[in-house]
Amino acid sequence: MTSEISLKDLKELNSRYNIFTSMTAEESVDAEFVFSAKDNLTSKDFETRAGSRILEGYTPGFDATPIRRMRDAGGFLAGKTNMDEFGFGTFSANSAYGIPRNPFDTNRSCGGSSGGAACAAAVLENHVALGVSTGGSISCPASFCGVFGITPTYGRVSRYGLIDYGNSLDKVGILSAKAADLTKYLPIISGKDHRDPTSCVQPDMRRSLRRIRSVAVPKEAIDGISEDVMKSFESALELLRSMSIDVEYVGMPSLKYSIPAYYVIATSEASTNLARYCGMRYGQQEGDLTLKFDDYFSSIRSKYFGDEAKRRILLGTFTRMVGYADRYYNKALQVRQVIIAEYKGIFKTHDAVLTPTMPFVSPRFDDISKMSALQSYKADFLTVPPNISGTPHLSVPCGYSEGMPVGMQFITDHWNEDLLLSMATEWENAFDIRHPEVKL
Amino acid sequence: MFCSCPTTGADAPNTHVCPTCLGMPGSRPSLNGKALELGLTIAKMLKCEIPKTTWFSRKTYFYPDLCKHFQITQYDTPIGEKGVYHLGKKPIRITRVHLEEDPGKIKRVGDGSSLVDYNRSGVPLVEIVTEPDISSPAEARQFLSELLTEIRYTIDLPEDGERSVRCDCNISVGTERCEVKNVTGLKNVERCLTFEAVRQTKLLKAGRTIERETRHFDEERKVTMPARKKEYEADYGYIGEPDLGIFHIARIAENIKLRESPLNMASRFQSEYGLDERTAKQIVTTSMKLAELFEELIKVSDVQTAKTWITGGISAYWKGFEPSAEEKKKDLISIISDFHTERITDTECNIRIRSLMTGEGQKEMTDSTADLDRLIDAFIDENPSVVADYRKNDRAANRIIGSVMKQTGGRYSSADIVDATRRLMDARSQRSDA
Repeated sequence: MTSEISLKDLKELNSRYNIFTSMTAEESVDAEFVFSAKDNLTSKDFETRAGSRILEGYTPGFDATPIRRMRDAGGFLAGKTNMDEFGFGTFSANSAYGIPRNPFDTNRSCGGSSGGAACAAAVLENHVALGVSTGGSISCPASFCGVFGITPTYGRVSRYGLIDYGNSLDKVGILSAKAADLTKYLPIISGKDHRDPTSCVQPDMRRSLRRIRSVAVPKEAIDGISEDVMKSFESALELLRSMSIDVEYVGMPSLKYSIPAYYVIATSEASTNLARYCGMRYGQQEGDLTLKFDDYFSSIRSKYFGDEAKRRILLGTFTRMVGYADRYYNKALQVRQVIIAEYKGIFKTHDAVLTPTMPFVSPRFDDISKMSALQSYKADFLTVPPNISGTPHLSVPCGYSEGMPVGMQFITDHWNEDLLLSMATEWENAFDIRHPEVKL
Repeated sequence: MFCSCPTTGADAPNTHVCPTCLGMPGSRPSLNGKALELGLTIAKMLKCEIPKTTWFSRKTYFYPDLCKHFQITQYDTPIGEKGVYHLGKKPIRITRVHLEEDPGKIKRVGDGSSLVDYNRSGVPLVEIVTEPDISSPAEARQFLSELLTEIRYTIDLPEDGERSVRCDCNISVGTERCEVKNVTGLKNVERCLTFEAVRQTKLLKAGRTIERETRHFDEERKVTMPARKKEYEADYGYIGEPDLGIFHIARIAENIKLRESPLNMASRFQSEYGLDERTAKQIVTTSMKLAELFEELIKVSDVQTAKTWITGGISAYWKGFEPSAEEKKKDLISIISDFHTERITDTECNIRIRSLMTGEGQKEMTDSTADLDRLIDAFIDENPSVVADYRKNDRAANRIIGSVMKQTGGRYSSADIVDATRRLMDARSQRSDA
């Protein structure tokens, strides 16, 4: 059942918040619903650049499976949302196409790397946004923009048509201001797809949703959390107890190894994935064709990759070199197994692990520019663990500090998305969610 | 290897391509099961150790024919290791057998630029590495020639089927080795190795050292030339291919039935069934299907019976019969079984085989059945008392049987005459009851 949906405010909102890298020119459409997709999901009708200049001009010949499934369900794709180049960032400040601005305070970040998606979910009415997470790129912006963000189990949603960052980590998920959207659209984009073999081992999603009855809070997770976030988190724990959910503190010693292990695995994979961009066959091809092929490749890559992309290529190339792979890449793979085992241990006695999503509320852009790479990598220390272990997780708004949203993150065992979906709805009913003021 | 594009028969460059074999952003690989199976068949044929699980790896290097700038290949878990191939009596040890995707092809055009054709990109490739067990260029050539014949038979690749074989020839005359990459054609392998042996020997005699290097073979001038130097130092930064995961191949490999090569089968026939060499070779060279039938006939009879009929009547009619051998094989086996259990005579067996295999003589056969019935009926009509006698004692039928056997002089087996007589007598005696 389709109906006419107005898109006339889209342009105005986009100019204010930098939501999209490319968007529809339609003023209204006949559709069941409107959705957007992060710019690293391929689409036939929009350029797909993954926030990078090196992909300028790339209009893929195929739709990513999650986009195709949303279209098949009656959705209209309104545009491609802004992001850190190839997903490399925590604040969406590494985009070649402008920086998305936080709807609660436009001097602050939307988070990243699915910053445009979170912004779209927060400011567009009845909008569902497809995001992608490698190390927290759905949870982080959901938390900074005060919306729901679900990252399913690795392999739940086909990655066919996703422009790779780290193939063993990448997951497509959903951001929305309404819990009901997660429950409605996650099953639509999920399911086996022979074009992505890693999607073909999944069990079906449960139709009847089970409830979360107990959560474990790792003590290691609340070290280094800013005071205002901690205050919101603690009152959220009170609210959970009042909903007769058991809250217990536990130890999770491996947590501190997840950041180094993650950055080794992610950059190693990324450095191979980004090798293909060289000014041949697609994307940016403006270079001196009289050069030898390797000089030509270098010239294009030097000119059109951003600094963070270059940094991660260098890091990832180093960590998989002969003589270093055992010390870094192979060791990181072992650490991943330790972290998974530790989660599994907790899930024997608790339905979910709960932590704040980010250690602070969204920072101002001038503060972000002063942060070192290491400082911003460290900001991911709570979103990285469930990503490196491939376990599903959900960020929900849980408080406000100086008008900025605070988020917390539930993590469940592999394939137990149903627990998260029921929690999203329960939490939406129990907690007083604020929406940004969007004047038109 | 990881998509479904055709591997042969392209009319123009860059027509047999898809997002996956072009490495377009957003595409991803999906393992072609048939390619895995064929690779495992070769590994098994080479008597390799096959691991329980295997995975693929990314080998990263920048070259325009390699779309993703990493090749999906196998690094630490090849599908086969530590195999052996017997060249006559000499074992050639096989180091490893692994699968990978082929890159595209670069074509240099006159003005210093090049064109790339990606039709070959992503075509399945199996790499076989031997230990340094080959001691002469001629032996290398013979090894390749026999190996290829055997592989072609084992994986059922037709003689005229498109294939391409490239050989990386490593040679050392005693100190350091050189690798001559991508040599095509058996003749060229022998030539390039001979050239290298002479070149390296000359260098050593002149008191110079041989540098470890990669060379290429110039087919026109028939010499080897240094290629990219120091390639052995290249660091491909291998990591596992995360898009493909782990494959449990032990069971797949177990279920693969290797086709025995014709020569191996012939020598087995000699040792297992005591056939003489000439007969054994005659059977396998007539047709491998005939050889397989031979073994099935042994199961329902014995070696002597199977051999007599295989080299006799069955061989004579085989050529025309082979196309339908699969569907009619069962009937042929049951004829020999009937003969072996003495349900039919030699003559009868011959007629039935000829009829089945050529389609001729069918009328004669049905006529002869009707004939037998008519003879029995005639005897009963002339001697009506036999029916009453038969009801008292069924041995009365022997009178009929004896007479009909005499009349037909061995044209029918005794079993057939007994069957027909009892059938007709039973019918008559029931009729007279009623």
